[in-house]
Amino acid sequence: MAPFAQLVTLLARIAAALFVASGAMLTYEVIARYFFTAPTIWAAELSQLCLIWGSLLAMAWCLRERRHIRITAVTGLLPLRGRLVAEAGAMLAVAAFSALVAWKGFEIFWVSFERGRTTGSMLDLPIWIAEFAIPFGFAVLVVQALIEALRVMRGDLPAEGAQRE
Amino acid sequence: MTIVLILGALFLLLLARVPVAFALGGMGLGMLLAGGFSPLMAPQAILSTLDGFILLAVPLFLLMSNVLLKGGVGRDLFAAVQAWVGHWPGGLAVATILSCGIFAAISGSSVATAATIGTVAIPEMLARGYEKRFVYGLLAAGGTLGILIPPSIPMIVYGFVTEESVIALFLAGIGPGLALLGLFIVFSMAHAAARGMGRAQAATWSERRHASIRALPSLALAVIVIGVIYTGAATPTEAAAIGFAAALVITGVILRTLNWESFREAAMESMATTVAILLIVAGAKVFGKAIALYRLPQEISAFIGEVIHTPLAFVAVVAIVLLIMGLVFEALSMVLIMTPVLLPAAVGLGLDPIWFGIFMVIMVECALITPPVGLNLYVIQAVARASMGEVARGVIPFLLLMFVTVILLYAWPDLALYIPFKL
Repeated sequence: MAPFAQLVTLLARIAAALFVASGAMLTYEVIARYFFTAPTIWAAELSQLCLIWGSLLAMAWCLRERRHIRITAVTGLLPLRGRLVAEAGAMLAVAAFSALVAWKGFEIFWVSFERGRTTGSMLDLPIWIAEFAIPFGFAVLVVQALIEALRVMRGDLPAEGAQRE
Repeated sequence: MTIVLILGALFLLLLARVPVAFALGGMGLGMLLAGGFSPLMAPQAILSTLDGFILLAVPLFLLMSNVLLKGGVGRDLFAAVQAWVGHWPGGLAVATILSCGIFAAISGSSVATAATIGTVAIPEMLARGYEKRFVYGLLAAGGTLGILIPPSIPMIVYGFVTEESVIALFLAGIGPGLALLGLFIVFSMAHAAARGMGRAQAATWSERRHASIRALPSLALAVIVIGVIYTGAATPTEAAAIGFAAALVITGVILRTLNWESFREAAMESMATTVAILLIVAGAKVFGKAIALYRLPQEISAFIGEVIHTPLAFVAVVAIVLLIMGLVFEALSMVLIMTPVLLPAAVGLGLDPIWFGIFMVIMVECALITPPVGLNLYVIQAVARASMGEVARGVIPFLLLMFVTVILLYAWPDLALYIPFKL
């Protein structure tokens, strides 16, 4: 497997682990509050960071595995060629949107980073720790979306992954 | 006019297989740029969405139900309920629906509910001579209880976008959920009686005791999660975390049905669903911000105010629009696109926002089982290896029962609002 594909898989596994970790932290928080009467100052904030980073890290994997929810019923009526064109267009649209968000997200991160802004909460973490997830996650997604567009242009139309909610 | 163009462009993107999250986000970002607003609002809106504590409940509830699913809890639950009601007329169908209802109380997802109970109940019902179409319809529709009986992921999302209390929404779902459950049970019994289905032998007391003991931990889990939220001992997000931890203890330690491999699968599955859902919420937030800056919700609200004068007409029109959208649209996107557009008008006509949320959830349930696009139809089709046509036809009577529930809910709003506000 190409290094980039491995990276994307690794990021998805990290994301899954982060969600599990947030569950562990919040369970500990409730136990600490009721049984030791000693609520933590970190559980809520760190588990929120897990959600932010987890969601953004796994976007590219979800795109590759076709796990993002979308409507294929209408293009499904088209012949293969039409479906390929629509799919390539969709992937390029994702790439364009992600590039813009990554760029603007980087500006937000950079301002906070340079000025050393912090959250002002109990932990008083630097704000950029959360903000950096946006440019990072969306940059990986841009690359993945372009790879997918190329793959589709070569005539390879992957099946939809399971969609659940 | 702008609104027609905007919604038209959005629907075009959506129908051209752009993932919903990116169609919404892209449309929003495009509108920000076109209107001369700062594009920085897009990443900010995405970040502020993921920074919502209530949305952390989404991966945790998913982890909880996926762990239980992999741990085979569905089989135990079904066996226990069957031991108690299996000998009733249509007993197996009643047991199926009750199992769906109970699993709905531990799961926030209708697809998970349909898949979990469907896997065990469908082969058994078919073996006992139930009509195929009825079985498929029952499971597809029974699964939708997953999002009406709390916890419920669409309610969490609705609460997040409208800034209404998720706790109140959860509690408001109980009444209509039980009403729908009751209607399904009565219909199942009538169906079995009309077909002259034979009645199964009653289980012995020792069989009942044995089956109940195995299902007891999962039942207790459902009671604990709702109880903790209801008494305010923990937030919905914390309750979800406890539920996940307890699910691990039940399947990993008590029943010993969960191994490392299936836990990893549950974690990956939950992650994928979480990301798909939360990105749509984030995309909708960008879109919502843009349409608010264009003052579109106010315009729509004013327009609706001119054309529609009674809440009844409004609810009827919205129901029809959602039903049509639901043919093609996936459930959550419908809530996210339509809520910001419709809620101001609904409140203007004197409808309660919590009531409106429950109404939306029932309409979303209909969308889940109306062809050509309905996630629950796909699930049952896959689980039972049935044709889409068979499943879709089987669903019709259950769809009608959902309409009955909507009418009940309109005629008697306390069906939803009594538990959260008057109890």
